[in-house]
Amino acid sequence: MTSEQKRTLALYYCQNVPASGERERQDLEEKYGRGIRLFTVPCSGRLEPIHLLLALEEFADVVFIITCPEGVCRYSEGNKRAKKRVEKTRAIIASIGLEVERIGMIIGSKENPISLADHARAAMERTLKLPPSPVHN
Amino acid sequence: MPSKYMIHTKTVTNRFQPVSKSGIIAWEEGCLKCAVCVKKRCVYNVYDKRGIDSRHMIESIDNLCMNCYRCVQNCPKELIHKSLNPEFNAMGDSHWSPPIIVRLWNQSQTGKIPVSGAGYPGPFSGPGFDSMWTDMSEIVRPTRDGIHGREYISTAVDMGKTPEHLMFNGSDTLEGEVPSIIDIPLPIILKMPSFGTISPNTIKGWAMGARRLGTLIALPMEKIDSALEDMGGCLMPLVLPRGTSIGNIPKNAKIIEIPWTEEWQGVVEDIKGYIPNLFVSVRIPMAEGMEEKALSLARGGISIIHLEGSSMSRFMDDNTRNLKDGIRLVHMKLVEENIRDGVTLLASGGLAMAEHVAKAIICGADTVFVDFPILIALECRMCRRCTKGLSCPVEIDTASPGWVASRVVNLIGAWHNQLIEVMGAMGIRDARRLRGEVGRAMFFEDMDRAAFESMGQVEEGCELE
Ligand code: SF4
Ligand code: SF4
Repeated sequence: MTSEQKRTLALYYCQNVPASGERERQDLEEKYGRGIRLFTVPCSGRLEPIHLLLALEEFADVVFIITCPEGVCRYSEGNKRAKKRVEKTRAIIASIGLEVERIGMIIGSKENPISLADHARAAMERTLKLPPSPVHN
Repeated sequence: MPSKYMIHTKTVTNRFQPVSKSGIIAWEEGCLKCAVCVKKRCVYNVYDKRGIDSRHMIESIDNLCMNCYRCVQNCPKELIHKSLNPEFNAMGDSHWSPPIIVRLWNQSQTGKIPVSGAGYPGPFSGPGFDSMWTDMSEIVRPTRDGIHGREYISTAVDMGKTPEHLMFNGSDTLEGEVPSIIDIPLPIILKMPSFGTISPNTIKGWAMGARRLGTLIALPMEKIDSALEDMGGCLMPLVLPRGTSIGNIPKNAKIIEIPWTEEWQGVVEDIKGYIPNLFVSVRIPMAEGMEEKALSLARGGISIIHLEGSSMSRFMDDNTRNLKDGIRLVHMKLVEENIRDGVTLLASGGLAMAEHVAKAIICGADTVFVDFPILIALECRMCRRCTKGLSCPVEIDTASPGWVASRVVNLIGAWHNQLIEVMGAMGIRDARRLRGEVGRAMFFEDMDRAAFESMGQVEEGCELE
């Protein structure tokens, strides 16, 4: 087992993230094995604190949301709302003594579009900086 | 008259939340906190029963919603939206499309015929279509109790060589022996699909389903283990020409299948030497030269031929040619050579809906194999993760044999009812009579030719002015 596989990253991503089709998703799972759980959403604004907390409670050490760039959300402000919900959820986990870094967010860039695989790599790097979640121990 | 063949179905619950076509996006920010929120007014109480399946993060709301759009339209701040679910669109491929997968799931859950809204707004031909329509001119009234309730329609078919005539001697007794046949109550044989997270329990469940239906299940010889010992009668082992030991063929098996090889005669002789009464089906790929292969098998005394198309319902060597055309070619070749009744033609490859069974038979097959639908019946999403060694999202291998059997019985029960409805609408009362009955179908190419041929042709590269 590689060090990457010792943590589990739950990655929620907006369907508009570049190169985020089913094939790319399976490629990532082949690469990271059980260390990554990928959930595609029609819009990052669909996510509520419950989705992030449930992942932390059930299996994840770290949860990340990848949104589309600001100003291009198909639902006009889904990504802005996602940001607020991340902040709200961070406050909840801080109140129970968990590190706020266990919930991360990456906002895509309009000028420099980044593929799901590259986002996943960045999120995984940040995941590995944290110790395993005490929730599962 | 023999008693009616009925498939008894009952609802078999899903083990996982299905993937819904669309989902609800409800913003909280900006909510006016109305005295009675539109969510409370949902007539299906969708919002009251919210649950999240943490394995796939699927919201129960999305599966319960009936898409009436009442909440979407009535929220004064327009905070509720419906969106297409990207997970839904990611399922399957161009042939095993998400709507087909969902229809198969529903039939396997309920055992009922799928009902869709009135009218069909889509195209009728073009890429992905078989461009074939069945003739429903005998429909005289809507069915209230299902056609099975009041009419006798037989779906039974025979496999093996039927005699051209009977001979009687002076004392009115039959002369010679009537060749034996395998008789199954519906023109469908189950077949283990070529991929899937399949465990011995899955196979046992499929075999139990086949036994309850009275049909067979085709599966590779090496998959037959001691758990299937008492089910030999419903197994159709797929044997490698020389690889498998003939001695492993279950003693009570009635039929086996071998793939085409130039030396098929020797292989068949070896097998018959071991179990003389065994039926042997020979499988030929739907590809260049299949007519000649079929003819040589028929002339050589093989009474069951399996024509195998691709899992996308196409020729094996040409994905622009449809399964139906391959079946028609081989069927017509056997008819032209006056040998058709000496052979049972089995067809397989991408049959995904009940209507495909009727269409394959109209094109000339006697019986069809159903493979991937029996996997999709177990909630498979056709994601093909299993082919890469990734985990199965619906853990098919952990399903109990009883659940597997009941889901398959439901699916085939629903298909059987649709077959009967289609046959009734065509005025056909016996599945054996449907074979090759192209007069009960319309083919786009034929109609197109009839309507427009006299107007000339457009040369390739030329533009219409
Ligand atoms: S669209 Fe209709 S069925 Fe669906 S949640 Fe809203 S009110 Fe209920
Ligand atoms: S759901 Fe996917 S992984 Fe599971 S059997 Fe079907 S194709 Fe394979």
